[in-house]
Amino acid sequence: MMIRVNGKKHSWYEGMTIKDLLKDFNDSHLYAVVRINDKHVSRPNFEKIIIPDNSEVFLIPMIAGG
Amino acid sequence: MTEYKIEIIKTFDYGRPVIENGYANQTLCIDISDLGISIKPVTEKMKEVFIGGKGFDLWLLWNAVTSSTKWSDPENAICIASGPMGGTPIYPGSGKSIVTTISPLTGSVIDSNVGGYFGPYLKFSGFDALEVTGKASKDVVIFIDGIDENVQIFEAPGLPDDSYDLSAVLTERFAKGKPRHISVVSTGPGAKNTLIGCLNFTWYDLKRKRVRYKQAGRGGIGSVFADKRIKAIVARWDTVTIQTNNPADKNSLKAVGKKHSREIVELDPKQNEMAKIGTTHLVSIMNDFDLLPVNNFQYGRHPEADNIGQEVYRRIFDAGYDGCWMGCTLACAHGVKDFVPLTGPYKGTKVFVDGPEYETIAGCGSNLGIFDPHAAIEMNFYCDAYGLDTISVGTATAFAMECFETGLINEAHTGGMNLSFGNRLAALEIVHQMARGEGFGQIVGRGVREMKSIFARDFGADPDLMQDIGMEAKGLEFSEYISKESLAQQGGYGLALKGPQHDEAWLIFLDMVHNFMPTFEQKAEALHWFPMFRTWFGLCGLCKLPWNDVMPEDNKETPEPAKVMKHVEWYEEYYSAVTGRQISPDGLIRMSEAVYNFQRIFNLKMGFGQREHDNIPYRAVGPVKTVEYESRHERYDKQLVEEHKVDIAGKSTEEKVAILRKLREGLYEKLKDAVYKRRGWTNNGIPTVETVKRLGIDFPEILELLKTHGVE
Repeated sequence: MMIRVNGKKHSWYEGMTIKDLLKDFNDSHLYAVVRINDKHVSRPNFEKIIIPDNSEVFLIPMIAGG
Repeated sequence: MTEYKIEIIKTFDYGRPVIENGYANQTLCIDISDLGISIKPVTEKMKEVFIGGKGFDLWLLWNAVTSSTKWSDPENAICIASGPMGGTPIYPGSGKSIVTTISPLTGSVIDSNVGGYFGPYLKFSGFDALEVTGKASKDVVIFIDGIDENVQIFEAPGLPDDSYDLSAVLTERFAKGKPRHISVVSTGPGAKNTLIGCLNFTWYDLKRKRVRYKQAGRGGIGSVFADKRIKAIVARWDTVTIQTNNPADKNSLKAVGKKHSREIVELDPKQNEMAKIGTTHLVSIMNDFDLLPVNNFQYGRHPEADNIGQEVYRRIFDAGYDGCWMGCTLACAHGVKDFVPLTGPYKGTKVFVDGPEYETIAGCGSNLGIFDPHAAIEMNFYCDAYGLDTISVGTATAFAMECFETGLINEAHTGGMNLSFGNRLAALEIVHQMARGEGFGQIVGRGVREMKSIFARDFGADPDLMQDIGMEAKGLEFSEYISKESLAQQGGYGLALKGPQHDEAWLIFLDMVHNFMPTFEQKAEALHWFPMFRTWFGLCGLCKLPWNDVMPEDNKETPEPAKVMKHVEWYEEYYSAVTGRQISPDGLIRMSEAVYNFQRIFNLKMGFGQREHDNIPYRAVGPVKTVEYESRHERYDKQLVEEHKVDIAGKSTEEKVAILRKLREGLYEKLKDAVYKRRGWTNNGIPTVETVKRLGIDFPEILELLKTHGVE
């Protein structure tokens, strides 16, 4: 019942979405993209994507590109 | 094996200077009309004002051309330079070259940056920059041999036409058993027969034992190269170490290089995985944010976008190290092994394809309504082999396809081709026709601006509609991002000096997603700082990707996360360690400002560079057609009601399109006002005398030029 977020352990529960996860962070407005294992997920999908147990999650402040 | 003859027609011996703090302190000038070869000194003043790279290129080009020079005139120069930090093997992204010339598309200055080994090898051979003028009567190859200290010009009939084979043949010919010592600049038949030709710069992949390619794509530089009948320029240099560039402070350089390299190794796998999938991760992200160009920039997303996204290319790319310069840990130049094209001269044979990157996937994929990853790879391969810019090919073909679907042109004009969006074989046939110099492909190869004229004049197409949907500004085709929903990015494209390429300012996320710059003043500040800092990379021989495509983990806690100031400070340390000149973050911006304003004034010299030339087609600003509006009607309706207090009750889509257009065009003009003011320009977009004096570019000819435009 655990995931890792940016390399650190984080609690997890069944049905947890990316939007739910970001409520635990004060700087969530900085993240346009989150990577769950090998898959990039963009902000428009944060509400509908459910994080699986044992995922490696990376919060990416997407200001790069181009 | 290709049969060819090679005959030396000129040899020029020289003594190679010692590199001092990143500079060779001289440039090489070749006039291929009379085979004149000379060396010019680089003065301290030149280093102080123009720094290197693009700055040196622009100064050489400024002195080579007059205000009436056309792209195909002999005096037009092709200038290639790296920069003082170019050729450093321990700092990521330190092998870039910048190429400039007068563009056949814009009639003014174009610059294009490119990886590969050529720029550093040129410098280590003794030249901070190369300037080639004139026109040869037969195809020639220029060979700059830094090891044997001579420059040779050859006639070489029988060499392959396409860049893919040509570079491999010339690498083998000049390598003397050490192919890593060779870098080739070349183009192909597409460049000769169109105005959108690119240059391929090579690097040798030791592991795969093959020549690899990067492209100086934008603005038709390859077409100038082909028009001069330069078949290739080859540089030969020896082993590169940290000492080769003779930095002022080797220990500091090692320390800062190690910091940045290690950070990338640690964080890139957690962030964008550039070392594994390059820029392909952008496809699905752009699609999610409604920013992926689909069907000539009409729409920003498509249900099939994931078919050409990172999940697919992760499986297709050949795994292994893909750094286009030695020691780069970002190493994003991926490729496809054993690809078998379905069309063209390589049909049915195995080839290695360098790419595709995001721009090619979006330009030659989604923007053409094509969501087949292999079609994008095949387009990529043939564009490179033929010497064609994938961005201009994509955007120009997308325009032709929309004209076809809208009925502005038909099969009688296309030579019987059905140019519907999604027609992969037609898109590939257009590319093959460009290479052969025949058919409708030859018209597409003239670029969007000329196509608009031809379609109106010869086919009776509606010029006003084409002006709205033809995605070019200043004559250059747009690169592959939807800018409709970000005013700052409209400025990033429209106010870019060379035309709408995103390398000056890519502000979509900052503006549209993060809302970091809600006011005009904040947008103007961003459209000052970002273009200036991005320009700086091109002065120094650097790639900008290590700056902001990998973020320090504590970046979000800094006051200005978008600027990635920790990295900016590392770049200051890096610059000082190589050149011995101390500099502050403001100093980096100040360096770029001088060159940036000089380039703006260069545009003025060539008859452009004023407010009217910063206009962009309405497709880049908002929805041209009702179907575009309706595809995002919730967003547009909300904007009209909440932001602009428009009562939309009972209004038709046509009426709402017209109201939104008036509002958005007004905002873009206000943005111009704010940016010009921030940059120290007149309301007509011309740098003021005060600005050029502050930046130390108040040369007599510049003051005279400003005066002729009423600025004194």
